[in-house]
Amino acid sequence: MILQIIPAPDVLPAHWMWSQVLLLVTFLLHLVLMNFIVGGSIFTLWDSFKGKTVKNDAFSIPTLIALTINFGVPPLLFVQVIYGQFFYSSSILMAVPWLLVIPFLILGYYGAYIFVYKTGKNKALARGSLVLSTLILLYIGFMLVNNSTLMLRPERWSMYFENPGGTNLNWGEPTLFPRYLHFMTGAIAIAGLGKALWYYFRKKTEPQERDSEMKRGIKIFAYATVVQIALGIIFLFTLPSEIYSLFLGGNMIYTILISIGFILALAAVIQGLKQQLRSLLIIAPIILAIMVVMRELVRHAYFGDIYTPGDMVLQPEYGSLTMFLVVFLAGLYLIYYMLKLMLKPKTDIER
Amino acid sequence: MNYPIWQIPATGGSILIATIAILHVFIAHLAVGGGLYLVLTEHKAVRNNDNRLLQYVKSHTRFFLLLTMVFGGVSGVGIWFIISLVNPAATSTLIHNFVFAWATEWVFFVGEIIALLIYHYRFDSMNRKAHMTVGWLYFAFAWLSLFIINGIIDFMLTPGEWLTTNEFVHGFFNPSFLPSLIFRTGIAFTLAGLFGMITAVLTKDLDFRAQLLRYNVKWMYAPIVLLLIGGILYLNVLPAPAEQNLFMYNPEANTFDSVFFISSILLFALGLTMLLKFNRKAQSVIVGLLIVIGLGWIGGFEYLREIARKPYVIYEYMYSNSIKVNEAEKINKEGYLKNAKWAPIHEVNDENLLEAGEVIFAHQCLSCHTVGGYNDIIPRTDHLTERGMEAKLTGLGRIETYMPHFFGTDKERKAVAAYITRKINGKKEQPGKKHIAEAEVPEIPPFDKEQDEYVLLAWNDLGMHCISDNSRWFSFLPPANTIWAQLIKRGEKPQVISSGVELKYEVQEGYRNPEKHVPFWKYAEKVYGAKLEPGVGLSGNKVTGTMHPNVHNSFIAEFIPVTPYRDDGKFNPYPAFTITAYNKETGEKLAMTKAIAPTSTEMGCRNCHQGGWRWNDVAGIADETSINILQVHDRLSNTNLYEQAKNGNPVLCQSCHGDPAIGAGGKKEHLNFSSAMHGFHANYLSGMSGDACNLCHPNTPGGTTECLRSRHAEKGFNCTLCHGKMEDHAMALLKHEDERGKPSAERLMQNLPLRGVESVKQVNPRMPWLQETDCLSCHVNFDVMSSGRGIDGFNRWVAGGSELYRNRTDTHGVMCAACHGSPHAVYMATNMYGKERDNMQPIQYMGISGTIGTNKNCDVCHTIDMKFNGHHRNMIKKNYKYRVPVLKENKGQQVLKDKEAGNETAKMNNTNTSQSNALAFIPALVGILFFMFRKFKVR
Repeated sequence: MILQIIPAPDVLPAHWMWSQVLLLVTFLLHLVLMNFIVGGSIFTLWDSFKGKTVKNDAFSIPTLIALTINFGVPPLLFVQVIYGQFFYSSSILMAVPWLLVIPFLILGYYGAYIFVYKTGKNKALARGSLVLSTLILLYIGFMLVNNSTLMLRPERWSMYFENPGGTNLNWGEPTLFPRYLHFMTGAIAIAGLGKALWYYFRKKTEPQERDSEMKRGIKIFAYATVVQIALGIIFLFTLPSEIYSLFLGGNMIYTILISIGFILALAAVIQGLKQQLRSLLIIAPIILAIMVVMRELVRHAYFGDIYTPGDMVLQPEYGSLTMFLVVFLAGLYLIYYMLKLMLKPKTDIER
Repeated sequence: MNYPIWQIPATGGSILIATIAILHVFIAHLAVGGGLYLVLTEHKAVRNNDNRLLQYVKSHTRFFLLLTMVFGGVSGVGIWFIISLVNPAATSTLIHNFVFAWATEWVFFVGEIIALLIYHYRFDSMNRKAHMTVGWLYFAFAWLSLFIINGIIDFMLTPGEWLTTNEFVHGFFNPSFLPSLIFRTGIAFTLAGLFGMITAVLTKDLDFRAQLLRYNVKWMYAPIVLLLIGGILYLNVLPAPAEQNLFMYNPEANTFDSVFFISSILLFALGLTMLLKFNRKAQSVIVGLLIVIGLGWIGGFEYLREIARKPYVIYEYMYSNSIKVNEAEKINKEGYLKNAKWAPIHEVNDENLLEAGEVIFAHQCLSCHTVGGYNDIIPRTDHLTERGMEAKLTGLGRIETYMPHFFGTDKERKAVAAYITRKINGKKEQPGKKHIAEAEVPEIPPFDKEQDEYVLLAWNDLGMHCISDNSRWFSFLPPANTIWAQLIKRGEKPQVISSGVELKYEVQEGYRNPEKHVPFWKYAEKVYGAKLEPGVGLSGNKVTGTMHPNVHNSFIAEFIPVTPYRDDGKFNPYPAFTITAYNKETGEKLAMTKAIAPTSTEMGCRNCHQGGWRWNDVAGIADETSINILQVHDRLSNTNLYEQAKNGNPVLCQSCHGDPAIGAGGKKEHLNFSSAMHGFHANYLSGMSGDACNLCHPNTPGGTTECLRSRHAEKGFNCTLCHGKMEDHAMALLKHEDERGKPSAERLMQNLPLRGVESVKQVNPRMPWLQETDCLSCHVNFDVMSSGRGIDGFNRWVAGGSELYRNRTDTHGVMCAACHGSPHAVYMATNMYGKERDNMQPIQYMGISGTIGTNKNCDVCHTIDMKFNGHHRNMIKKNYKYRVPVLKENKGQQVLKDKEAGNETAKMNNTNTSQSNALAFIPALVGILFFMFRKFKVR
């Protein structure tokens, strides 16, 4: 029954590893940006309710939303490429809450702008907008976790036959909340680190404020990471036993990765408590990369024998891949060029 | 089929796609055109050292960023969301074929966002020249995004060579790529000007505002060149069927044709008012209006593109409902449910009929239709009976080529029809009134072989004949039976007498007041252009009168307005006429006989077109049925017949669809009536045998007429043996019209499957009424059985009207029908209103019911023994086929015994879904129309 229900995949124009690698790399970037906006919004709200003045870094939220959405596009693309038949099915099962992500996101995005434009002018409106935006971001995260878990569990898809109206969620999934909280706590940790980094580069800021904000950011990172480790362990053990056992010696790669991740996380906590920003800037990205890879390995483990992207029929067509790579490199250069232009000083007349 | 279906029947996925997509493209095109607008305006400001203009650019940038980056960007992702929810299969095809095009587009998207952020946030705080370079880069990225998406969108409409090669390049640079790119670039610039007006109108300084508005008007108008070039090229690359659907066939397109056309005019006309100096409030209102119109404009365009693509989501590759073209055959063979992964049941049976119907409906229909929302299924089906719904599904996509076909087995089709009719439209099976065909025992006039000098032979020229009794709405068959007679003087060499005699006819008691039973006379003047006294037919004859001399020394009474409704409230479609020959001078009665004039109103329109019977649940075309038919005609052929009829001006169908038999009438471009009727309906009633014919013509077994009474019927032959299967029959008629350049013939022919022949090439075209099957195609050389040619009259047409059975004579001038009886009631016929009712003459003259003269009864006419085949070959043979009726005496007359006369009182039980029919119209038409058009100059 389960196997019968899984849609047949389409053909691939290039080896699936291309999509797999691009999926992971762009997801990592999306994740970091997402962490900045989710964590950043929470910090800002915290400050706001504590009666503190809104910090400068909060004003970059709308810009970061733009980039987060932007970097969400390629993972959304590549997940469709190699897991389309699962992803579409689960999306349809939860079509209504899933589609609501779009109008909510538009609202939340505008909310962030209202927050920026109204801060200092209309406190209630500014704060209200940010509350709304933050809630929406949390909603979106929850939907993504729902969809990402539901797509892994074809055996749960029979819920469709009870309710084909697209209003299902993956409520019965044991990993749902551990996974969600793991992501959200991670967002707070990484946003803390991001805050420190922001002020690290903001050399014009009042030195005292700069120093305290940097310290605060690292501290948040350290404490959130402690919680994160605990949540990670819970998350691990809510996975089906045949999957978590892979991480506990069942599979060499899985085990090595989780071990490194665990050790690095501990190291990060220690370095965080010691306020070592530079070493954190090295450790944290590695942890994130390992987590992203492990997340993918969990996905592969879930599908087990049912499916691997390698099952897809390959109809090689490397022309378009070449086009993409060329455009990608040119794009990178042009972005660099634009940043350079941005920093180009004004002429005397302009001054 | 491959994916679950998101079931939101009241809303429908298509409207969600449309809403999100149209809003997105409105802003997304602005994002492209606005890029050039910003940087060029900035250049202008710098060149003219115009700080005010520069500040305008700055404020417009903020507005632009908030609109394009937030709404434009997120709604773009929204399209991905919604298309994958509504049509995951097509989305998957696009994703997998164009994965790196999408990825490339993303790179441009990143560039676009970064450029715009720099352009906005650093407007005043960076090197001006560098700022403008960033502006140019923004435009380049934005336009390149359009470049990529354009390729993918147009791939769906014109996949071109990709269909055979599967090559990325062929799919991407498809035939409509360039036209669309030009057109969309034009849209982008127009919208840049349009949205420029929003910020412009907010400017307080009157002169500066006027200057800005003028500037924006230029932006709106300059791209018209691109729009025209792109538009023309676009139309040129549209597949022909797409163009037909867009501008002719699809009623949905009509709406959007109008939306696009009217909003184009309004947009560019109203835009000009921006050149005038108004107060700001008025200008703001107009700008607001222009934005709404602009949204309608682009919505109209996108809708038209989508509609042009129908019935496909990817042209000729995948239907709108996700079924791939190359899967269709398998599905039709094995069944849809068996192949549908997400169906909760995988086969249909009597118990789960409605459930299966619901599943298939959700899978195959909900992608475009809703239940109660946009493209609502209810008004599109509630005029149909379950049988009609089944027919509609059979013909789906054949004439309404903007719809996919139904995919599945016959049983699955029935399931969907049952679901739509019973569940969605809430119709119940309604048992019809029981009609008892009372066997009637007519008195047979006496004949004395020793004494009588004359033999009178009479017949109705058409054996299966109907009248349309719904003149209030439309008309195609007036009450009009034509009776022929030949009077033969007996002797050694009998003679057909045509002078010195007078022949009178008289209908039997009970049928003498036809004007009381049908509304024909009320509308005769409007419909037929003939002012008639009640009871008088189109040729001036009443149900009783005198016959006129005619060809072949015969006598004729044309268009006798007899109906099947009797004065005593009974229904019998076989009124008997008494024909009597008199000596013209002396008035002496020379001979008398009786003949049946079939005239049924059991036309089965109501089998499919909801409405029931007009007359006592027995027969006739009811008002509701008539209205439903007119509305279908109006919808498919863009007519206004229903309104016309409602206002008291019903039409004669043949006033447009002339009849070739009469060589006049109708409109030149229109199909003749027979081709239109059969050509259209064959598309919906294919895959059947004689039951297809019986659905319309009055020959349903167990119906109220069973009009095929001929001895052929007794052998189990049905209509198709002579006329061909419905599809082939229709094709022969259509081909005749197609060869005469009638444009709509092709539409009806294009998807009509053939049955007994391989290709249209093998079909012999024929003109209805004048070219029917030649009896000699089977009865080669008058042999009883076919001589090796098989029992198949299709494609073996007589050359012209004079060779028709009903017009032909033997070598001695005796007409075929005189001895063999009416067509469809050839002697030894069987009639449900009395078994021997059609055989009164054979019984009168020979005491048996066979061909006149059969079983060596030459002495009916000849007073000496005849030993050779005098009239045609093979007359005298070893085995004669005839029936001996049981006779009894009644007041000195020979009368058929009840038992023999009646077919045990045929009972029938009509239900709404049971098949019934209406056939008699075929034969009558020839004569009727001939006379009508000649004499009364019908419109």
